[in-house]
Amino acid sequence: MRVSTRATGGPAGGSGPGGTAGPAGTLQGTGAGPSAAVTSLRRLWHVMVGREGDVRRPIAFLILGVIVATIITPDFIRPSNIDSLLVDNSYLLVIAVGEAFVIMVGSIDLGVESMLVSAGMLIAWLTVFHGMPSGLAVVVTLAAAVVIGLLVGLLVAKVHIPSFVVTLGVYWGFRGVALLVNNQQGISPAGSRPFGFEGIAGSTGGVSNLLIIALAVVIVAQVVMSLTPFGLWLKSIGSNELAARRAGIRADTVKISVFAISAFLAALAGIMYTAWAGTIVPSAVEGYSLEAIAAVILGGIPFTGGRGTAVGAALGALMVAIINDLIVLLGVPSLWEYIFVAAVLIVAGLQARAGRLVK
Amino acid sequence: MTTDASARDVNGTTQGEPVLSVRHLVKRFGAVTAIDDVSLDVRSGEVLGIVGDNGAGKSTFLSLLSGYNHPDAGEFRYHGRPVRISSPAQTRRELGIEMVYQDLAMSPDLSVWQNLFLGEERRRWMFFLDRRGMRSRAREVLREMNTKIEAGAPVSDLSGGERQLVAVARGLLFDRDIIMLDEPTAAISVAKADDVLHTIRSLRERGKTVILISHRLEDVLAVADRVAVFAAGKIVSVAENEGLTVEKLLRLMFGARAGGTTT
Repeated sequence: MRVSTRATGGPAGGSGPGGTAGPAGTLQGTGAGPSAAVTSLRRLWHVMVGREGDVRRPIAFLILGVIVATIITPDFIRPSNIDSLLVDNSYLLVIAVGEAFVIMVGSIDLGVESMLVSAGMLIAWLTVFHGMPSGLAVVVTLAAAVVIGLLVGLLVAKVHIPSFVVTLGVYWGFRGVALLVNNQQGISPAGSRPFGFEGIAGSTGGVSNLLIIALAVVIVAQVVMSLTPFGLWLKSIGSNELAARRAGIRADTVKISVFAISAFLAALAGIMYTAWAGTIVPSAVEGYSLEAIAAVILGGIPFTGGRGTAVGAALGALMVAIINDLIVLLGVPSLWEYIFVAAVLIVAGLQARAGRLVK
Repeated sequence: MTTDASARDVNGTTQGEPVLSVRHLVKRFGAVTAIDDVSLDVRSGEVLGIVGDNGAGKSTFLSLLSGYNHPDAGEFRYHGRPVRISSPAQTRRELGIEMVYQDLAMSPDLSVWQNLFLGEERRRWMFFLDRRGMRSRAREVLREMNTKIEAGAPVSDLSGGERQLVAVARGLLFDRDIIMLDEPTAAISVAKADDVLHTIRSLRERGKTVILISHRLEDVLAVADRVAVFAAGKIVSVAENEGLTVEKLLRLMFGARAGGTTT
């Protein structure tokens, strides 16, 4: 409140041409007012454009996003809308966190959406077509994804193929695998053959299980990133790989593990998605790899890695989710979704540059 | 002159036992023999200067000692017992050799204490970083070094000279026996070069063995107890600092190549 009065007082006094008695009096009366307003504005500016990776930045942007969305359409802030926004995007949060691990070391994973949809097809195939117990099917699906992730990591870290190339291969290849599983058809539970894991999309104590899983993933990821040696190694590799290697960090092993983590979380997201949608089709979640990458960048992890947080990536995913939600609420053709995400991403990139210039 | 110098070398009184010895070291890169039958003792507690022209073999020698490259022949002895030098991490942990690289490569996004402990983190509850313990230990070491560097500051905020101190602090933190500095004055301003020399002297006072590789002969003469001169992959002279001058060193460095006042 103090800020707002000063903010209105400041520019009024400043823009007053010549300085009539009134404005001059106000200026004297408020004393340090304008400079304090400038200070707090500057502080806000510094948070908005400040050091990359500072988690306050995505928080500030998210709050701004919520305010703007509410102004655009008050429907946005209704609890039911917020609830469905969080639940419907829980799997995006999960893949964004996986992507955050990869980008933290300065690599990229373009294949998360294909891993997601293949995992969904695999678990549906196992449970519906082969009657595998759902618990076992979950384990098998996650394990298969980890194996794929390790192979991807090996190609990147040991064979030195750029991660962009390897994961672009995953992107195409595993879309193909998803199509192969059931002869290009989707898989839905039949009456006698349910998925068996629908409970994942249920709720516990009134809170969606999907949301609980997503929050657990974010929390565990953040703990790993900021409280464990592995988290330190991730950042050191993204920050300066040579220095990390000289310090004795096994950079190859760390890189291989981030791709395994990303694949694991993509498969987890695939299981969540399949449970949530109640069906899985090979063409699902198209474009989600790029949304996950956008989320990470919006969340403050620079493309070169080295700093930032899993929480930031999750907040970035929520920003992407808000844009998608607004498109729906406003009834705008969904093509605008792509253009809005693009615009927000460019803005994020611009303010990252601004941060460097300010510094 | 060289006989002169080596005589003094043999009679050297101030230095201790050899902490690290190399014997008949050979390293070839393709047809080039970068290190050609080099033997050298590094004595405990001394500052050993290593000089030589570009391509004389200094950097290769260093990379062999730090475990980055592996020799084609020859052996290392650590306190008299033969050892293998396999990797930079092993060199540091098992042989207690801390390497301060010329480029002062660090993780700019990490803080000073994170850089100090990187790769050798203190843990608690098995899997977690002992952040508080590491930070306060880092603060102690930095205070001992009389610097104003904050343990929590991001390394990206530090100057070249400060980064150098952090790199040296790593050696003190883990109580390494030997600290190798590669061209320590190269990446920092000339005005700060004296600070580096001061740091080297204080390392020596703490009983550390320092190997100083430098182009700047005056700097080497200012702090070294002994100076080894590389030329064309060989050590052409190891001499006590006393009596050495820049001119003599230059003559050793270039005279040898021209065809040989020394063997």
